[in-house]
Formats: sequence, C-alpha cells, structure tokens
Amino acid sequence: MRDDQSVVALVAKAAGSDQDAWDELVERYAPMVWSICSRYRLSRPDIEDVGQNVWLRLVEQIGNLREPAALPGWLSTTTQRECLRVLHRRDRLVPLPEELPPGTDDAMIEQGIMEAERNAALRAALAELPPHCRQLLSMLISDPPHPYAQISTLLQIRIGSIGPQRARCLERLRRSRHLATVIGGEAAATLEKTAGGEPRA
Amino acid sequence: MRESWDDERLLGALRAAMEARRAVPPEFIATGKSAYAWRNIDAELAQLTYDSRSDKERSASLRSEEPASVRALTFTSAHFSIELEIADTALLGQIMPPRKATIETETRAGLTTAAPVDDIGCFAIEPRPASPFRLHCRAEDGQDVVTGWITL
Repeated sequence: MRDDQSVVALVAKAAGSDQDAWDELVERYAPMVWSICSRYRLSRPDIEDVGQNVWLRLVEQIGNLREPAALPGWLSTTTQRECLRVLHRRDRLVPLPEELPPGTDDAMIEQGIMEAERNAALRAALAELPPHCRQLLSMLISDPPHPYAQISTLLQIRIGSIGPQRARCLERLRRSRHLATVIGGEAAATLEKTAGGEPRA
Repeated sequence: MRESWDDERLLGALRAAMEARRAVPPEFIATGKSAYAWRNIDAELAQLTYDSRSDKERSASLRSEEPASVRALTFTSAHFSIELEIADTALLGQIMPPRKATIETETRAGLTTAAPVDDIGCFAIEPRPASPFRLHCRAEDGQDVVTGWITL
C-alpha cells in the first residue's frame, strides 16, 4: 500500500489499539529497518537491539507523528540514529571505522526508503491477488524459477496456457490500488529503460 | 491502461520485493510486532549498553583463545542500571545503584516470574526463563524500568 492514505489509516488504527494494524506496519517496513542495519554492518545481536528500539520508539511516538504519511522516512531516520548509537557504544571497545559504511549517505538512504515503499506495495498487491495468481507468480519468481512443465503439473494447467495466465495475473497486479502511486510515479523515468524487455512466449 | 512497467520489469520488481522480505529473519519481525505490547505501559526502556557476547565477537581478532565465560549484560536507564549474568541454570543480577525493588521476567508467551531484589540490589531468577525474555524492574521508589527482549 504505497497509497499514502492507507499508511495514514494504519498509523491511525495502530495509534488506537489495533494490533493487526501495527503488525501490518511491521511487516511492511521491517525489511527496510533490516536493510539499513545491514548497511551499517552491525552484528546480529546489535541488529536485534536496533530493531527493537526502533519499534519501541514508534510505539511511544505513533500517536504524535506529525505526518503519518511520512512514516517510512521517520523509521529510516530513527533506524540510522539507533545504528549510530550502537556504533558509538562499540567505539568504546574498538576503534570506529574511519568512515561510515557505503550506502549510508543521504541519497542512498532516500533510495532505500523508495525501494522499501515499492517493495511493501508490491507485496501488499500480491497478497490481494486471487490464489491461482499468487501461486503462479510465486513459482515464476522463485529462485531458481519453476520450469513450465513443473508449474503445469503442480497447478494443473496446460503448458500452453501458462503464458496467457501469467500475463493476466501480472495485469491484475499492475492494476492493484497499492501500485497506483508506485508504478505511476516512476513510469516516465523507467519506460525507456524497459521498453526492450520482451514478453516470454 | 497504464504502459508503465512491462511484464518482465514487474516480475523482476516482485522478485526483488519478495527477496527483501525473505532476507529478514522471522524473529526480527516478531520482535517488532511484540513491541506493541508496550503501547500502554508506562515504564522506561533501559538501553542495552554492554553485552559481553558482542564485545567478544568484535574483539575476537584481538584476543582469541579465551575460555567460554558467563555472558554479562548491562542495561542502563536514566535512574539506574541493571547488570545481568546469564548462568547455566539461573539469572543473577544487580541493580546499580542498589535499591529495593521487585524484578519480573516476562517471556514472549506472556509468562511472568517475580523475584525480590535485596538491600544491596542483588537478585536471582531460577530457573532461567525461556528465551527470549525481558526484565521489568519495579523499584519501591516508584521507578519502573523495562529492558528489551533478551535472546540467549
């Protein structure tokens, strides 16, 4: 749900006492918190510590966020602050690295927020597809991808109809309300880059 | 119809989104969700300021071959700190500066055990609670401090 309204709605519910809304916020943005911690090259216990503090800060502040729609940015800033706190603590034990790890400058962080929002929107959109589309797309994006013959057996559809079904499911995904701002916003910039991508028959 | 992302790009983006999610350990998500339990708790969160395990991890290249020792943790709040040693069968700890208090351990499943803190600030919790757990220290002077989840 990159659709900002729904982040606002989730924040409003979580500021009340809606554990489900809170869980949804965590599901969406924990990957971003995790990836920021990874860029700071923290140890696993330190990452757990940072994650915990970030969410506890949010629990304290969720009723006072001035701009609920900017929650991803708030989480990103808070995570960085907590990472620096951990590095500072380490500073007393071993010397700090001369410079901050790559990927922690403003532009990269901004990029990370955008990616996190896009990823959250894509996952939310996938979750709302009908089961047969979810299964098919999950098999297509698995690593390694399932061969068509295997998909055909598992989903009991003819090999010849996998291509058309794939196209239909992706079109449903593309039309998802969650992706409206994400895909629309980047459309102009990415159109040329991907124009050469040819559909698989 | 929007022409923004073709099928390949959309599928690629979806793959990246699912991989980003899979990279996150389930416990990390669970910790985030359980933080909500503090929504209406009026206790101060003590920060983890020392962990012998991460200390050892970091200085492993400097000092190796040390015998396995008891893990020690320090949590610091504005009012007092909690020092904790994880022994095989029990948790041993001390509140600094000392004060009369009750210390509770709480597991993720919500089980709590209470133990008294004596005049010099010491406490013992036996048996060791299931991991992860957290400590909640209620001092007689009214200070109320909790730690984050501790994973053994």
